[in-house]
Amino acid sequence: MSDLQKNNSVSVLEVSNLNKKFDRLQVLENISFNVKKGEVVAIIGPSGSGKTTLLRCAAMLEKADGGTLSVGGVPVMTDGEYAGKTVLKAGRRKCGMVFQAFNLFPHMSVLENITDAPVHVAGVPKSEAVREANKLLSDMGLLEHASSYPCELSGGQQQRVAIARALALHPEILFFDEPTSALDPELTKEVLHVIRALAEEDMTMVIVTHEMDFAEMVADRIIFVADGKVVEEGAAGDLINNPVNERTKAFIAGLKGE
Amino acid sequence: MRKILQIIFFAFLSFFYVFAADGAGELRMVTAANFPPYEFYSGKEIVGIDADIMREIAARNGLKLIIEDMKFDSIIAAVQSGKGDVAASAITVTPDRRQMVDFTVAYVSARQMIIVPVDSLIKNGKDLKGKRIGVQHGTTGDTYVTENFHDPQRFDDGSMAVAALLRGKLDAVVLDNEPAMVHSAGNPELKMLEEPLTFEEYAFAIAKNREPLLKMLNDSLNEMMQDGTINEIRKKYAEKIEETVAETAAENSGDGGWKSEWHTNFIKNDRWRYLWDGFLVTMQVSVAAVILGVAIGFFVAIIRSTADLNGNWKIADYFCRVYLTVIRGTPVVLQLLIIYFVVFGAVDVSKVLVAIIAFGINSGAYVAEIIRSGIMSIDRGQMEAGRSLGLSYCRTMILIVLPQALKNVLPALGNEFIVLLKETSVCGFIALQDLTKGGDVIRSQTYNAFLPLIVVAMVYLLLVIIFSKLLEKLEKRLKRNE
Repeated sequence: MSDLQKNNSVSVLEVSNLNKKFDRLQVLENISFNVKKGEVVAIIGPSGSGKTTLLRCAAMLEKADGGTLSVGGVPVMTDGEYAGKTVLKAGRRKCGMVFQAFNLFPHMSVLENITDAPVHVAGVPKSEAVREANKLLSDMGLLEHASSYPCELSGGQQQRVAIARALALHPEILFFDEPTSALDPELTKEVLHVIRALAEEDMTMVIVTHEMDFAEMVADRIIFVADGKVVEEGAAGDLINNPVNERTKAFIAGLKGE
Repeated sequence: MRKILQIIFFAFLSFFYVFAADGAGELRMVTAANFPPYEFYSGKEIVGIDADIMREIAARNGLKLIIEDMKFDSIIAAVQSGKGDVAASAITVTPDRRQMVDFTVAYVSARQMIIVPVDSLIKNGKDLKGKRIGVQHGTTGDTYVTENFHDPQRFDDGSMAVAALLRGKLDAVVLDNEPAMVHSAGNPELKMLEEPLTFEEYAFAIAKNREPLLKMLNDSLNEMMQDGTINEIRKKYAEKIEETVAETAAENSGDGGWKSEWHTNFIKNDRWRYLWDGFLVTMQVSVAAVILGVAIGFFVAIIRSTADLNGNWKIADYFCRVYLTVIRGTPVVLQLLIIYFVVFGAVDVSKVLVAIIAFGINSGAYVAEIIRSGIMSIDRGQMEAGRSLGLSYCRTMILIVLPQALKNVLPALGNEFIVLLKETSVCGFIALQDLTKGGDVIRSQTYNAFLPLIVVAMVYLLLVIIFSKLLEKLEKRLKRNE
C-alpha cells in the first residue's frame, strides 16, 4: 500500500477531544488524532506525559471522561457518552493489545494462551484455532515452544507470544504499550523485528515507545505528547530530524544526547 | 394492608406450629444419655430407668416413643423450644427449674453422693469447704456445691470428673447415687462416702401450659407407682449395677493391662461401632460443609473483590461484609447452637443437615477471605489482558484470574479444611454423634477416660495426615508451570 493509498483509506481509529482525569489531575486534555488503515503511528513523549493513558483509553482499557472515540468504525464513545454493552463489545473485538509486561497467562501453555480467546470469544472451532496458532507461532519462529509455559521462555519470546495472542483475534488495529521497555537490548531486537514485519504487511498499529530509531524506521507518523496534550504531530522523519516545537526539540535532543 | 400482613404473619406462625406439634401419636423424649443407670447407650439404643419408664408410659397411652440424646444443659431449652415433649433425664426438681418448665410428680427420690480417694481426709459434706470439687455440669450436685461452697469444676459427664479425681486433679466428686456406686466400685483407689450430701427428687419436665400432656404423664406415673412398675424397673437396673460393679471390679483386679483395656473399650459389645458410626458422621459433615463453604466462599470472594477492584456491586458487598463480620466474630459452637435451637428451633430437621449448614456457613466466611486475598494477589495486567482479548469480566475471572488465585492460596485453603474437620468435633453440643461424641459414649459406658480419647485423637490425626499428603501432591502438580 502506497502512502497515497493510506491517505485515501478510511480511519480505523478516530480520537477527538479526548479528556481524562485521575481524581483532580487532568491527564489528557482535548486530544485528537486519527489513524488510517495500514498506518503505523508512534506516540512519544516524556514519562508522565499521559501517552500510556492515551493508548489505554483508545484501546478501551481505561474509561475516558469526555470526547469522541471510534474504533474500526464502531462509535465507542460520542461526546463523553459511552455506547451500550454490545457496541463496546464489538469495539473491543476490533482492537488488540500488547502490554509492557506481556501479561501472558502463566497457568496456560503458549498454545493455550493463543487459542483461548478465539475459542471462547470468537467461537472458532478448537482445531482451527490450533492450526492458526501454530501458523502464527511459526511466523514468529516459536513453533517448538508451543507446549511450553510462559515462565520457560525469555522476555523476547514471551512478548512475541503476546503479539501472536493479540493477532489470533484478527484485530483491525493493534496497540503496543512500550513493548520493549521490559527487555534487554538483545531481546528488544527480536520483538522490533516482528513489529516491523507486521508493518510491512500493512497492519494498523499504534505504538507507545521510547525507541526513537525504531519509531523513525517503522512509523509513518509520530505524535509527540506532553502534559496530556498533543504538542507536535508529523511524518516520522520530519518530526525527529526537524522538529518545530521547542519542547519536541528539547525532548529529542535529550534522547539523542544519551 | 396491615390486615393482610397480620394474616400472613399468623399463617406463618401456624405453619411452624404444625411442625412443632407434629407429634400426633408420638411422644418425644429428650435426655442426656451419659448418666447410667438412668439413661445410657446399650448398642445403638438408649436404655435406663428413665427410658424404660417413658416407654411404659408411651405404651400405656398408645403413643410411639422417640428418644433424642443431647447435652444435659440443653434439655430444658429443648422442651421449651418444642424440640421435645418430655425431658426425662434424672432431673432434680429445683425452684429455679420450676420457673422455666412444669414438673410431673416425682418418681424417684435420689441422693447426691461424694466420691473421694480411699486415703482422703474428707469424711462428710462439711469437709468439702475449700476443696477442689468436680461435678457434672448442670446437675443438682453442681447447683448444691455452687450455692453452699464455691464454684466446682464442671465436667460434661461424671466419668470425666472421676478421671480427674483419679489423676489427683480433684479432692472429691459429687454425683448421683447410682453412678457414684458404679464409679467407686470400678476404681479400687476410690470410695463413696456413706453420708449423702443432699436428698432430692427426680421428675420429668415439660414445657409450661401443656396441661393435657402433664395430666397424662402424672396419671400414668401415679398408676405405675401404685402397681409397682416403677419399683420393678429400678430393681432391674439395681441388679444390672451390681453386675457392672462386679464386672468392673473383676476387670480391675486382673492385670489391668493394655490388652484388656483395649478389649473393654473397643471390642466388647461391639463398642468400636460408636467410633465407626461417628467417623462416618464426621466425614459426612466435613465433606459436605467443605463443599458448601467453598461455594459460599467463591461467591462472596468474587463480589468482594469486584467491589474492591471496580467499585461495582456496593450493596451486595455490604451484605457480604456483614456476613464476614458476624461469622468470623462469633464462636462456631454458638453458631451451631443458634442454628439448631433458634433458626431450626421449631422445624424437625436432621442434625447432620444442621451441622453441615452451620459449618458450611462458618467455613464459607474464611474461605471467602482466603480466595479474595488470592484474587487480589494476581497482577491487574492479567485481568486487562483477558479484557483486551474480548473476554467478559466474569469469564476473565473464571478462566484467567481464579485458576491462578486458587493455586496461590491452596496451602491456606488446605489449612482451613483441616481446621474445619477438627471443628466438627463440637457436633456433640447438638447431640449429633460424630467421632468425638462416639468416644464420649464409650467413656460413659466403660468409665475409662483415657483410651477412647487417645484413639479418637489418633483418628483425627490420621485423617489430617492423609489429607495433607493429598494436598501436597496437588500442589506439586500445579507447580509445574511456575
